[in-house]
Amino acid sequence: MKKPDTNLSPVERIKARSDFLRGTLVASLADSATGALAEDDTQLSKFHGFYQQDNRDLREDRRRRLLEPDYQFMIRARVPGGVCTPGQWLKLDEIARLWANGTLRLTTRQAFQLHGVLKRDLKNSIRAINDSLLDTIAACGDVNRNVMSSAVPEHSALHREVHDLARAVSSHLTPRTTAYHEIWLSDGGPRQRVAGSAVPDAEPLYGPVYLPRKFKMAFAVPPRNDVDVFAHDLGFIAIADKNVLAGFNVTVGGGMGMTQADPATYPRLAEVIGFCKPEQVLAVSEAVLTLQRDYGDRTNRKHARLKYTIDDRGLDWFRAEFERRLGDSLAAARPWEFSDNGDRYGWQEGDDGLWHLGLFIENGRIADHPGAEHLSGLREIAKRLEGEIRLTPNQNLVLANVPPAQRADIDALVRAHGLDGFRQASPLRLHAMACVGLPTCGLAMAESERYLPELVGRIEASMAGHGLGREAITIRMTGCPNGCARPYLAEIGLVGKGPGLYDLFLGAAFDGARLNRKYRESVRENDVLDLLDELFGAFVSDRKTGEHFGDYLLRAGFLDDCAAPGPGRDVPL
Amino acid sequence: MLHELKTEASPLSERQIDCLQQGLDQLDPSQTAWLSGYLAGRLAADRPAAVPTPDVTVLQVLYASQTGHGEALAAGLAETATAAGFSVRARNVLDLRPAEIRRLEYAVFVISTHGEGDPPDDAIDLFDYLQSGRRPALDGLKFSVLALGDRSYEQFCAAGRNLEDLLLACGAQAFAPRVECDVDYDQDAAQWSEQVIAHVRENQVGPDSGAETQRRPAHLSVVSSAPAWGRSRPFPATVERLQRITGPDSTKEVYHIELSLEDSGLHYEPGDALGVWAPNALESVEALLAVLNIDPATSVEVDDGEFTIRELLIHHRELTRLAPETIKGFAALGRDDSLQRRLDACDEKDLRRFIEERQFIDLVEAFPATVTAADLAGLLRPLTPRSYSIASSQAAVDAQVHLTVVTKIDQAPGGRRYGLASHYLNNRLQTGDEVGVFLEPNRRFRLPEDRSTPLILIATGTGIAPYRAFLQQLEEEGQSPRTWLIFGNPHLRSDFLYQREWLRWRKNGFVQRIDGAFSRDQEAKHYVQDVVRARAPDICEWLDAGARIYLCGALAMGDAVETALRQAVAGQRGLDQQAANTFMSDLRRDRRLLKDLY
Repeated sequence: MKKPDTNLSPVERIKARSDFLRGTLVASLADSATGALAEDDTQLSKFHGFYQQDNRDLREDRRRRLLEPDYQFMIRARVPGGVCTPGQWLKLDEIARLWANGTLRLTTRQAFQLHGVLKRDLKNSIRAINDSLLDTIAACGDVNRNVMSSAVPEHSALHREVHDLARAVSSHLTPRTTAYHEIWLSDGGPRQRVAGSAVPDAEPLYGPVYLPRKFKMAFAVPPRNDVDVFAHDLGFIAIADKNVLAGFNVTVGGGMGMTQADPATYPRLAEVIGFCKPEQVLAVSEAVLTLQRDYGDRTNRKHARLKYTIDDRGLDWFRAEFERRLGDSLAAARPWEFSDNGDRYGWQEGDDGLWHLGLFIENGRIADHPGAEHLSGLREIAKRLEGEIRLTPNQNLVLANVPPAQRADIDALVRAHGLDGFRQASPLRLHAMACVGLPTCGLAMAESERYLPELVGRIEASMAGHGLGREAITIRMTGCPNGCARPYLAEIGLVGKGPGLYDLFLGAAFDGARLNRKYRESVRENDVLDLLDELFGAFVSDRKTGEHFGDYLLRAGFLDDCAAPGPGRDVPL
Repeated sequence: MLHELKTEASPLSERQIDCLQQGLDQLDPSQTAWLSGYLAGRLAADRPAAVPTPDVTVLQVLYASQTGHGEALAAGLAETATAAGFSVRARNVLDLRPAEIRRLEYAVFVISTHGEGDPPDDAIDLFDYLQSGRRPALDGLKFSVLALGDRSYEQFCAAGRNLEDLLLACGAQAFAPRVECDVDYDQDAAQWSEQVIAHVRENQVGPDSGAETQRRPAHLSVVSSAPAWGRSRPFPATVERLQRITGPDSTKEVYHIELSLEDSGLHYEPGDALGVWAPNALESVEALLAVLNIDPATSVEVDDGEFTIRELLIHHRELTRLAPETIKGFAALGRDDSLQRRLDACDEKDLRRFIEERQFIDLVEAFPATVTAADLAGLLRPLTPRSYSIASSQAAVDAQVHLTVVTKIDQAPGGRRYGLASHYLNNRLQTGDEVGVFLEPNRRFRLPEDRSTPLILIATGTGIAPYRAFLQQLEEEGQSPRTWLIFGNPHLRSDFLYQREWLRWRKNGFVQRIDGAFSRDQEAKHYVQDVVRARAPDICEWLDAGARIYLCGALAMGDAVETALRQAVAGQRGLDQQAANTFMSDLRRDRRLLKDLY
């Protein structure tokens, strides 16, 4: 009863007939009978940077009231490399308060999310984001997503160079359709083309049906693997000679997402395929992206990422096709070393004498709560800051390039608004990450952002009982298996299965270079706490000096019976 | 009973009456009842439009799942069965209306389980219906369930199990055992499908089997001989559902109310209204008597008999609507002439406003007077029933009648005052209570005889009620004239009454167009008359195509929309004022502009 493989997935057909992402979005926005978009448009909207969602907490009540679901939209603003100006911050803050739910969400890809925007406010919001010189196009959808880059510039010149390349790749791979401008930024009628041109749209890189699936890129600057470079379709690991950029090791085929009970899907670590020079980065990106455009699986969206293209055809095939497109071959990969995939908190001095302050933002949610007026505090800081604001890949913030003279002022504002949580929080909490999950994410099967803080509190108590209160362990939770918070790269990963029910994954590497394994299926909180408590006990008595929890579990054989995810290696080169 | 027919009013001839008399005398009571039902059914059958189109589909394949697996399986089964020569229809259970559920004969269900043993969202309505107080009798249904699930969950396939239990409890029979599938469902599902098809084949279920012809007469509901339920003899209707249908943050409290007319023999048409007898609230009566210092147990004698004053005020006197005579009579009893002077200073318009802003208690609190229980009985007018446009069609809801009621709340000088019946229905009644009702036919607000006439339905607030009745009727008849709803209320998010149903009708082609005028969703207020003005070319195009325009809601809205219509037509056709006025009166004369305003 399965559909034949020659069938394109429905989304492919929607893209094909969308006229370069127009669909019926204009009519959907004008439909005054519903807060929703037409069904096809809910796929196309992603390319424009927003998702249709509904408040699932209210679904049942509204159903009884014979009202449609409480439709609302999540808008994602791209921030290439995670660097934004204080002025941009203030604009986003204003949009959050005017048209969204009064909070800003930092994402695991260094972007902003605005939640709870009603259909009638979409155009104003998207226009205002563009006014700030950020944008939303390609923030979601089957395209190259927000390009990530290590957040803390210890070596300012090197980081600047890497970050500039991330920006260059981002704009090089941005879709060229004029539909975005036409729908959101112009005041004309639905079919008016930019500058009155009658020339039909074209996508020189993507073509009319774009990619088979999303495409993710990241730049890592060792020793930091904060971007989780092995989780991306395409990654660049910066190699420097005495703090001067020499080039990048290129990684391909990483990806987190999997589907419950579908063994043909799995998280996969990227593999290092060689070394390229900085001037080759654009060409390498284009070659990998177009290869995936032409060979990715367009019949099954659950099997459409680059990782499956590589596993289905083999790495040798991939390398040959890639080099053919590049018109060149890569040099041998150079050695590198990662220390961890977390963030640094507190002040750090850059080698140019400017300072960087890492702030802990639990799960990336910036809101105003009594005693923790984070949204207001960051607004006050942004009004004064002589520097920039960086969104980290772990959903935290860095106030970067702060002149020494401003440190005291910033410290006072941070304290006054309860933004100094990083001083008291346990290392476990500082290494915790959750996706948005319920009630707005349509995919969530269990709580995530709303629940992880409580659970961390209970695990902290258990760790303290074993004298592990100051031990750094990465813990990540997602409401479904799709992996937005990269749960398969956490030493403790919790993946939602149903209300209050999670699959427990254990044993990833602290530096993000090894996936974890599924340790127990469908466990509830009490089981999680009992299992971990026992393992903490064993860890305390048997660990080697400096050994991380994930490494220990693997070495001590606790994970011997647990299958490694997917068919590929779970340890990179 | 029959000799009543012998009066002048009978349409029958003497001879016909004699024949009937002879025949009927030989019938026992149950035969008489059957005949009554037969005649009612025959009457219904004579109006082809009102009879639901019989569904000749042999096997209904109904699916509900969150992931699309259920749909794929159902489609696969339908394909196989069709190939085997059977007439099969695969559909989402969401698209199954209650009336259709009751008519199902052969159906198989493909259903997945979610959360903690919950059915998928699409099946929640079905589950609710099957376990509600108005659960259907499904003795005529043979079914089988394919349950989809995941063994790693505790409540594996619970929704499928529960569905089977519910169907069995309604009297349906399972013709093949339920099959429960894990995530690798292909093989189990294929076996189940084979079983289903084998069963259908063995039992030769099909159009030739005679099932169709046997089924038809069963449609004719047995109607007991109708006693004269009416205004003075209201039918005690049981409240079956009370559901607020505006969002929690709405400024309007609107309830959808389902009442049972079971065994009443009452029949109404879309567009009709329901009269509701609502008693005054006990607390209001006691508060009034306390202010006047009258013992609630005081006995008073009036034309209808002897009552305590409390009972009289609750059930027989008007307290919420003031009449000029009541005010004048009350003024005469005043301890000073303050009210009389106030009234003397009023012109007619002032007096009307004075009355509209007050209930009787406001007078009593503001103007001291010495009033006895007997005075009170004479002063106050007899209680009158309230009337509501019916929000349902019997073609869809059988023996139910639905109302859409907004709680009327006024800020009077003495405080918050509630409307009599809206407060009674929305706030004082509970499910299971009885309320006295009677039908008020409204032949001036019916669907066109010619069901292909395009319809422009304009309403604000609860004025949408009769249009819901229209659409239920059209859907049951399978008629889909071009239909355009223009609806106004404060907010889209909380105040689009019956939004889910309207969107479904639009999706299924029963409504072509919906324009919401949600006045407070943007800075500039936006009303239904503004939609009419903005869409003037389309309005004229629809009128050219013979459209009929309905207006339902507040009087002021009716005036504003008529003005906008006249302007739209004048502007589009270049008519001067007189010609536009003529056009409008022609519309009214031709019954193409129908109004139900209050």
